[in-house]
Amino acid sequence: MSAESPLEIHDLTVAYHRKPVLWGVDLVVPAGQLIGIIGPNGAGKSTLIKACMGLLPVQSGWVKLFGQPFNKVATRVGYVPQRESVDWDFPVSVMDVVLMGRYGRLGLLRRPGKADRDLARSCLEKVQLLPYANRQIANLSGGQQQRVFLARALAQQADLYFMDEPFSGVDAATEAAIIAVLRELRDQGRTLLVVHHDLPTARQYFDRLLLLNMNVVAFGPTADVYTPELLQRTYGGRLTILSEVAQALGAQEPPR
Amino acid sequence: MRPAITPTVGWLEARAWLGYLGVLILGIALAAPAQAAGIGDLVEIHWAEQATRFFTFQDATVRYALLGSIFLGLSCGLLGSFIVVRKMALVGDALSHAVLPGVALGFLWNMSKDPMAIFIGAMIAGLVGTALVSAITRTTRLKEDAALGLVLATFFAAGICLVTMIQQLPTGNKSGIDKFLFGQAAALGADDIKLMGAVTAVALLLVVAFYKELLATSFDPGFARASGLPARWIHHGLMFLLAAAVVIALQAVGVVLVSAMLVTPAAAAYLLTDRLHRLVTLASLFGVAAGVSGAFLSFVGPSLPTGPLMVVGASFVFALAFMFAPRHGVIARWWRRRTGAARTRRENTLKSMFHVWEAAAFRAEGVTLTELAEKRRETLEDAQRLGRALVRHDLATLSGDVLYFTPAGKQRASEIVRNHRLWELYLTNSAGIAPDHVHEDAERIEHVLGETVVRALERRLDYARVDPHGRSIPTPREIHGDAGLTDESKPRRKS
Amino acid sequence: MTSLIPPYDAHAVWVAPWTEQLSLYGWIAAMGFAVAAACGLVGNYLMLRRMALMGDAVSHSVLPGLVVAFLVSGSRSTGPMFVGALAAGAAATLIIETIHTRTRVKQDAAIGIAFSTLFALGVILTVAFAGQIDLDAECVLYGEISFVPLEPMVTLGGWTLGPEPFVRMAAVAVGVGVMILVWYKELLVSSFDPGLARSLGINPALLHYGLMATLSIVVVSAFEAVGAILVIAMLILPGSTASMLTTRLPKVHLLSLLHAALSSVLGVSLGIWLNCSMAAAMVVAGAVLFGLAWLASPSQGLVARWWHGRRRESVEQPAPGVGV
Repeated sequence: MSAESPLEIHDLTVAYHRKPVLWGVDLVVPAGQLIGIIGPNGAGKSTLIKACMGLLPVQSGWVKLFGQPFNKVATRVGYVPQRESVDWDFPVSVMDVVLMGRYGRLGLLRRPGKADRDLARSCLEKVQLLPYANRQIANLSGGQQQRVFLARALAQQADLYFMDEPFSGVDAATEAAIIAVLRELRDQGRTLLVVHHDLPTARQYFDRLLLLNMNVVAFGPTADVYTPELLQRTYGGRLTILSEVAQALGAQEPPR
Repeated sequence: MRPAITPTVGWLEARAWLGYLGVLILGIALAAPAQAAGIGDLVEIHWAEQATRFFTFQDATVRYALLGSIFLGLSCGLLGSFIVVRKMALVGDALSHAVLPGVALGFLWNMSKDPMAIFIGAMIAGLVGTALVSAITRTTRLKEDAALGLVLATFFAAGICLVTMIQQLPTGNKSGIDKFLFGQAAALGADDIKLMGAVTAVALLLVVAFYKELLATSFDPGFARASGLPARWIHHGLMFLLAAAVVIALQAVGVVLVSAMLVTPAAAAYLLTDRLHRLVTLASLFGVAAGVSGAFLSFVGPSLPTGPLMVVGASFVFALAFMFAPRHGVIARWWRRRTGAARTRRENTLKSMFHVWEAAAFRAEGVTLTELAEKRRETLEDAQRLGRALVRHDLATLSGDVLYFTPAGKQRASEIVRNHRLWELYLTNSAGIAPDHVHEDAERIEHVLGETVVRALERRLDYARVDPHGRSIPTPREIHGDAGLTDESKPRRKS
Repeated sequence: MTSLIPPYDAHAVWVAPWTEQLSLYGWIAAMGFAVAAACGLVGNYLMLRRMALMGDAVSHSVLPGLVVAFLVSGSRSTGPMFVGALAAGAAATLIIETIHTRTRVKQDAAIGIAFSTLFALGVILTVAFAGQIDLDAECVLYGEISFVPLEPMVTLGGWTLGPEPFVRMAAVAVGVGVMILVWYKELLVSSFDPGLARSLGINPALLHYGLMATLSIVVVSAFEAVGAILVIAMLILPGSTASMLTTRLPKVHLLSLLHAALSSVLGVSLGIWLNCSMAAAMVVAGAVLFGLAWLASPSQGLVARWWHGRRRESVEQPAPGVGV
């Protein structure tokens, strides 16, 4: 672990079709924490983590991961996308998907070897999916599919994880299993940023909360930040003018 | 921003597109002979003579070709509109290729080009094809695009097998069945025209009768079904009409390109209007224009197949719409962007003038070009250019090398400065953004804030008078008063 | 009507082409296999990326590129043809992108407009300059695999590799196979989850354009043999059939190759029997294979589905009785 903060964001503005979604975000994330990203729909939660990984063009500001731009440290970063973002009819097995987590570390031309397979198996074991390793991914329940993504992220052996709603559409038992895995990762000194939309559980699950609504409303230890006043500011639509102006800006400058 | 003008916009738009329509038709009419000249020379036929024959309707072939292309353009444009708004363009493509085996079987019925037999055969093949596409997507893991491509190419291959077999037959060689591949409008006969007319009339009637249902199901099928509309039947009915339109167009356009006659005119119309009924009307007109110009070009250069010429005609219409559409066209957008950028530049100049004036505690007589250039860190020539732009728009006057605000210019300058500072204050106070981050945003926002948003901002900020950097925010009274730096009145000191 | 289907002669259809006429039909079948193999392998990725209809667009669009290349270079040598096809393929993608990003016309309509315009221009050029190009408009649609020249034979170090068009096509097919082997991981992950690919440091855009360029080259190589429309079947049928039978990508590739081989051999026989276009017959044979897989696939075939449905019904039917 380097002394650098795993994630540092300065004055980040991101726009979809020229309509700003995130506005002037500043953030310094301490290492070894399990962090929940909380906010209403359209607050820019997924946008934030996608922008951190360079999946979206950034309008202004910068993001540094471990003190460096994303491309330099890609192998230290793991990602769990939303479950709906892929085609589950794709002709691959559970094992193949988990092995994809190793691709970043394999160079060109190299195949996943025995070590990679063993690691993938142990990751599947951790999420209790080992018996399903050779199944085609369409033949899994929603919770199992979510756990496949989690296993893939484990196989990435990253120091920093971005997870986009890993609890959506899973049953209570799966949710408990997932959070146990996340805590284990945290205890190993890794940093996790998890987009989450359920307030009561957010309070139990996370060490720190990032309250987001187009910009950072608050970021700090859960006990300090989980206050009625701050939550009201996050969810209370106090930024109607901001979004109204964003709308006007989008209308005035049509997408090219 | 200026609600008073809104009611007239619809009118302006309507007039604009009528005007463009005129230009389009004129363009086609002018372009057609010019292009024909080239082709005519190529095949060594005197095109002027042929053109006279075409437009004087001397013989039946010409009349049939013309009527046929009008009917097909009308029906394809009409039904194609729904294909485009329902995002089913590629269904039309699959449908049109899938009819080929049906054409061949219809031909085999009594070894002649009997329009009715071919119509029935092709309809059946087309509908079986589309049914297969939905069966494959329903019962397998193949996605719709793969299913469409699969049915399209397979049916086409079966059709080619049949066509090449027919051509081996003793009578097959003279059958003209190969004309169904690329189309030949000159091959249309009286029976074909009757069938085309009947299908077009039925399509027109049904679309008018079920317009409301078509509109609702195209926009939001789920809601339409929930509100009791027979969305499924509307869909099947539309597919049936589409198949019929494709089949009657086959003889003139050919199997390969008939889908373009569905999609391209409708897509061109889609660029010109925001209402479905206008879209349908325009698409039909464009279809007719493309059909007639294709038939004409093919007539003056007889060895050329009609279908590709009609398609190129339709694409030409689309290209014109792409360039010149009053709201969505490339040129209109470019112009808007350019004028928008010029306006932003003027407003930034005004702002710089205001800043210079403010720095002199509002006492100076005017702003010299040198001061402006220094303020903006630009050359004197740049400052001169910017100053002249202000003068052209009556925002300032220039005497010697000193710029004076006009009342309008001064008002706009104060507004921009006020917008900028209000926005900075709002971002720091209400959105909790650090003061050193807000300037860049405000630089863009100041140009787009409308009066209503400004009022709301002022209310929210309790009519604050000082921005986060400690500078005063111009108030409405100061803005609308005639105080200050104009060439008519001496600048007054601000309180 | 009776004279339409020639009398069936088992020897002429099944035996002769592979014995006494092998030197002719053997090469036709080999050519068909090479075309279907190259197309099938590329097509698998097109389908996984839901871009099957880009194959449609590119295959139609290469025509004007080919014609212009013929007219400019005055020959049908490989170099200018590839350049023309790549340029036309690039033009098609550019037009599609321009239309659907700059206007509100959706991508499907943009594809329809772009390929039909380019194809129409190509046909007009073909007909207008018919004297200078030995391409006729119908051949453009469905190719003529039986007239692909068998001369000259290419030899390499004393080995006779085969007729020049076949060698060229086979080289393209092998090239595609090697590319898939080399970039298997990258292609897989960027097709399955472009977001993850990007976060792993793989550039999905680069792979996308690489795939489109490969598609253009495959399509233009296959053009002479199967034309602009049948090539779509060659792109889609092998992979579709394979994915009815397996859920693993490597097996999908292998089964696509098997489908390519079977459909070209069966196609030759069908073409001889019906005396029709050989390329079209290969597609029809391939479609019959797809139909069989669709019906009889053990895991997802129609029969299996019907059987499972019936068993479920027969299990569930007594249930209300039990309740009463």
